[in-house]
Amino acid sequence: MTRYVMVADLRRCIGCQTCTAACRHTNATLPGVQWRKVIDIELGDYPNVTRTFMPVGCQHCADPPCMDVCPSTATGKREDGIVTIDYDICIGCAYCAVACPYQARYKINHAEFAYGKDPIATEEKAFDGKRLGVAQKCTFCSDRIDDGKARGLVPGVDPDATPACVNSCITNALQFGDIEDPKSNVVKLLKDNNWFRMHEELGTKPGFFYLWSDE
Amino acid sequence: MDGHPQGDRKKVATYCYQCVNGPDLLTVEVVDGVATKVEPNFAVHGLHPADGKVCVKPYGLIQKQYNPNRILTPMKRTNPKKGRNEDPGWVRISWEEALDTVAAKLAACRPELLDENGNPKLAFTTGGAGTPLFYMGAFPALFAAWGGPVDLSLGAGGTVKCYHAEHSFGELWHRAFTVCPDTPYCNYVVSFGNNIDASGGVPSARRQADARVRGLRKVQIEPHLSVTGAGADDWVPIRPKTDPAFLMAMLHVLLHEHRTDELDVVFLKTRTAAPYLIAPEGYYLRDADSGKPLVWDLRQGRAVPFDSPGADPALNGRFTAGGIEKGADGQTWTHDGITVAPAHQMLTDHVASYTPKWAAAICDVQEAAIRRIADTFLAEACIGETIEIGGRVLPFRPVAIMLGKSVNNGWGAYECVWARTVLQTLVGALEVPGGLIGTTTLIVGPEFDRMASCVPGEDGFMTHPFSPTDKEHWQSRPEVRHGHTTLIPHTGAGYYAQPLGSSTFAWMRMQGRAAESWVKPKPPEVWIVYRCNPLISHSETNRLMDSIAEFPFQLSFVYTMDETAHFADILLPDCTDLEGTQLIRLGGTHYFEQFWETEGWVLRQPVVEPQGEARDFTWIAAELAKRIGLLDAFNSMVNVGVCGIPLKTDGYDFSLDVAKQHSPDEIWDAVCRAASFEVTGGKASDGLDWFKRNGFRVKPFPKLSWYLLPRMEDQNLRFELPYQERLHRIGEQLANRLHENNISWWDKQLTDYEPMPHWKDLNLLWDTALEKNYQVKADDYPFWLLTSRSMQYAWGGNVTIQLMREVADNVIGHGGIQMNANRARDLGIEDGDRIEVTSAVGTTTGKVILRQGVRPDVIVMTGQFGHWKTPYAKDLKTPSLNSLVPMHMDFIDGTGSSVDAAKVKIRRLGR
Repeated sequence: MTRYVMVADLRRCIGCQTCTAACRHTNATLPGVQWRKVIDIELGDYPNVTRTFMPVGCQHCADPPCMDVCPSTATGKREDGIVTIDYDICIGCAYCAVACPYQARYKINHAEFAYGKDPIATEEKAFDGKRLGVAQKCTFCSDRIDDGKARGLVPGVDPDATPACVNSCITNALQFGDIEDPKSNVVKLLKDNNWFRMHEELGTKPGFFYLWSDE
Repeated sequence: MDGHPQGDRKKVATYCYQCVNGPDLLTVEVVDGVATKVEPNFAVHGLHPADGKVCVKPYGLIQKQYNPNRILTPMKRTNPKKGRNEDPGWVRISWEEALDTVAAKLAACRPELLDENGNPKLAFTTGGAGTPLFYMGAFPALFAAWGGPVDLSLGAGGTVKCYHAEHSFGELWHRAFTVCPDTPYCNYVVSFGNNIDASGGVPSARRQADARVRGLRKVQIEPHLSVTGAGADDWVPIRPKTDPAFLMAMLHVLLHEHRTDELDVVFLKTRTAAPYLIAPEGYYLRDADSGKPLVWDLRQGRAVPFDSPGADPALNGRFTAGGIEKGADGQTWTHDGITVAPAHQMLTDHVASYTPKWAAAICDVQEAAIRRIADTFLAEACIGETIEIGGRVLPFRPVAIMLGKSVNNGWGAYECVWARTVLQTLVGALEVPGGLIGTTTLIVGPEFDRMASCVPGEDGFMTHPFSPTDKEHWQSRPEVRHGHTTLIPHTGAGYYAQPLGSSTFAWMRMQGRAAESWVKPKPPEVWIVYRCNPLISHSETNRLMDSIAEFPFQLSFVYTMDETAHFADILLPDCTDLEGTQLIRLGGTHYFEQFWETEGWVLRQPVVEPQGEARDFTWIAAELAKRIGLLDAFNSMVNVGVCGIPLKTDGYDFSLDVAKQHSPDEIWDAVCRAASFEVTGGKASDGLDWFKRNGFRVKPFPKLSWYLLPRMEDQNLRFELPYQERLHRIGEQLANRLHENNISWWDKQLTDYEPMPHWKDLNLLWDTALEKNYQVKADDYPFWLLTSRSMQYAWGGNVTIQLMREVADNVIGHGGIQMNANRARDLGIEDGDRIEVTSAVGTTTGKVILRQGVRPDVIVMTGQFGHWKTPYAKDLKTPSLNSLVPMHMDFIDGTGSSVDAAKVKIRRLGR
């Protein structure tokens, strides 16, 4: 069995948004559609304040609430754990977006490009009209994983089989791999460090782990 | 398609140098001739400090390439009236007409290159701390061929927007134009507002992250909790501009609350001037015969020259000795039986009153915090431990103190940099593994060989190219408009000297409000502007506008229209980052945290065809050289190495025929061949095609060359600390020269030449200056307005890029004015309200962003905005501090720098 997961080391993340930009490039999402982004969290009262940067996006849950509410079966889950959306089946009801406790889903009805209604050359080249009017979110760059594996590459190790956000991360805060493979990088990271998952109490069993220095 | 463009696909390697932390090596995917996405260059994995990752800014290059607001043809102004509200009447013209027009203006500046005031007729302004040079191709060869000085003093923001004191003194003391911790080994960092995670680029971010996970501890001392502060273990919200007091108190703790033998005594005695005896007039006591500084030898119980074999010099105490003392302008005193003390004792006395209790009240921090941080700094220094690097045993001292930008410029900056560097010497943590190390040399040079800059000079120290202040050699007539060689000896007169002079002073002179005994300078007859926007990035920008409007001929190389280009006479569209060709050096040690174990060359190449009529900078340079009759000289300058490497040496000859005009590809092919020869030790001479296929070429760089100490030890040299005898003398001489010429308007700056700086009340200095010069009540301006670096925008000139705005908005502070939530509540201000911010010189408005991570007496504006002409950016309605920062002689320190901060008041406008 394989289950691909993301590990974000919060000790490393500096909120630079390079992953956000790389995801926008690689997945050619429209302006404002950030399948991957880093949120900036300030906690406490002056002068006892902490600030933390936290990469977020689809958590690729083992028990994804978005899938349960999908009336058209557009949202699915692959055997390798990646939660998917079939744009051909999605009816754009957005139940999934409401159900997702991680606010990871977007629905865009009309294309607005970087500089208005007219796409620049790159946007024209990459524009995917199928994504209008349907739910969309992080795919863990499943196409890169599939293409890479077909060429014998290892996701999380070889860049051509690894999500773009991980490839781009300048602090190595983001790591990706198979949690079912005892030799994988992600298993080692989870074994050697403290970690948590977001909204664990909801029972979603996210495939997105956060490393942190405290319990 | 699933968002993935189909078609003929390729990846092209190139570089990004939008900030000083470049080059980042990247690849660009091109589909059917359209650039579609940026990725790291994975081929450099293992050779680059961060394995070839690239920061967020290069991802904006795709939108930059196809931005519909680009200017794609040469343009000329048809309305001779210049002003913000004047329509320039731009009309498109051919390259032929544009080049002929510019060439005619340049030719008119010749052969007399200086105007009647002795100032260059040709001026050039750029930004990004010089990084535009990595996009200008062979254009610098045109300046080199010019045959005389080009005025670079009309800066875009440098000396206000830089680490100026660190540049000036860091390079003097330890060849450190910038400094950083030896992060891979460092265990404890005390950071005074050093925002390295936003400003240090990819290698820094990676090294810092690795260190945090390894266990490096950092305390961040700053008025607002920055991006870097987020990763620190502690945040100490210090009152703005009180950092010198904190650092002085740290010195006090180490020198008065600890025994001397707890310090790195060996380092102090052998590698610093701590044992040098100070005589009554404030200069070293010297041996009457050799002129060498004397130390007190504890073994013999008498004063001996500092380099006497077997001597055990005293650090503490007072002694009776004789000798000579050399003052300013050859003045000499002969002493016999006087009481003298080592510099270390003088230092100890100097900081006696700077107790933690004293500093706590000034800094608004806990006394215990100051003491704890100083004690930890000492405890973590591991004094006595060693480490082997490259087969050599070196001291291991894993502690460093870092200073942020606004701590590093204006009054108080000398105190901070001095106290910080002295603290490093007290624990032996300067230029050793784990400690504070320098990165690059720009004043002394050579830029890419820091070790070669370590050359013995006088008194056991390294040489330094101070501009002369003696009567015979002092340059009484300013060479350029800011007169750096006349007023600021620290900068020297080398290639990078001009940008270190005072741009504020230059612009104030242009406005007739500085240097009243000197004639007001004439504007340059030709002003060239490239990759900068002084009307946004300098201080008092509205006033700057009036000066620029008077310039007779301005050539702006442009990407889009902007505020400064609005005043131009000719606009030329050069190739952007993804369109042009250039080969540059990479690796070694360079800027902030660029510490490589390789060095070599990397190519920028056309990833896609140029848009419109954009032209390669090297082509533009050659065309202009031809038109003004300088083609021979231009080619000669390329041959001698202006493009980064000589094209002819004893080992090879790839030189160009100086009589012919060469294409950019011909020029860069020759440079590539020379670079290949150099990096392979003569085994290869591959040209441009090889670099286009492979992108870069490197060879090993020894890690031992990250540290200056081994080179210092080999030459038995000392760091010129703690006592600044040489600066003291230079200051005295400069005062003599200026006063002989009836110049008193630089007297305040002359006070900055103290051999050991005293603490100054900078808040009082500001309040006094405001009340004296602007007829305001200081109490009416209760807030400090500060700025903060944005990694997404800094240096990039990318405010027109939608992607940058979009991702930057994920980081708190962009797009508004950060303010303490509790203070705002007291003033009836809610999150999102619009407020008016007023300083003594200007007013701006913006949306409030409430935070807890800001001191109640501080507001913060991130980045540099306030655009009114630049497409896209002008619609962001984002305020900028720059227009509120006063330019006044009272704010300029002895090195010509002033701080980019201002005292302000605020008023709620509504929702």
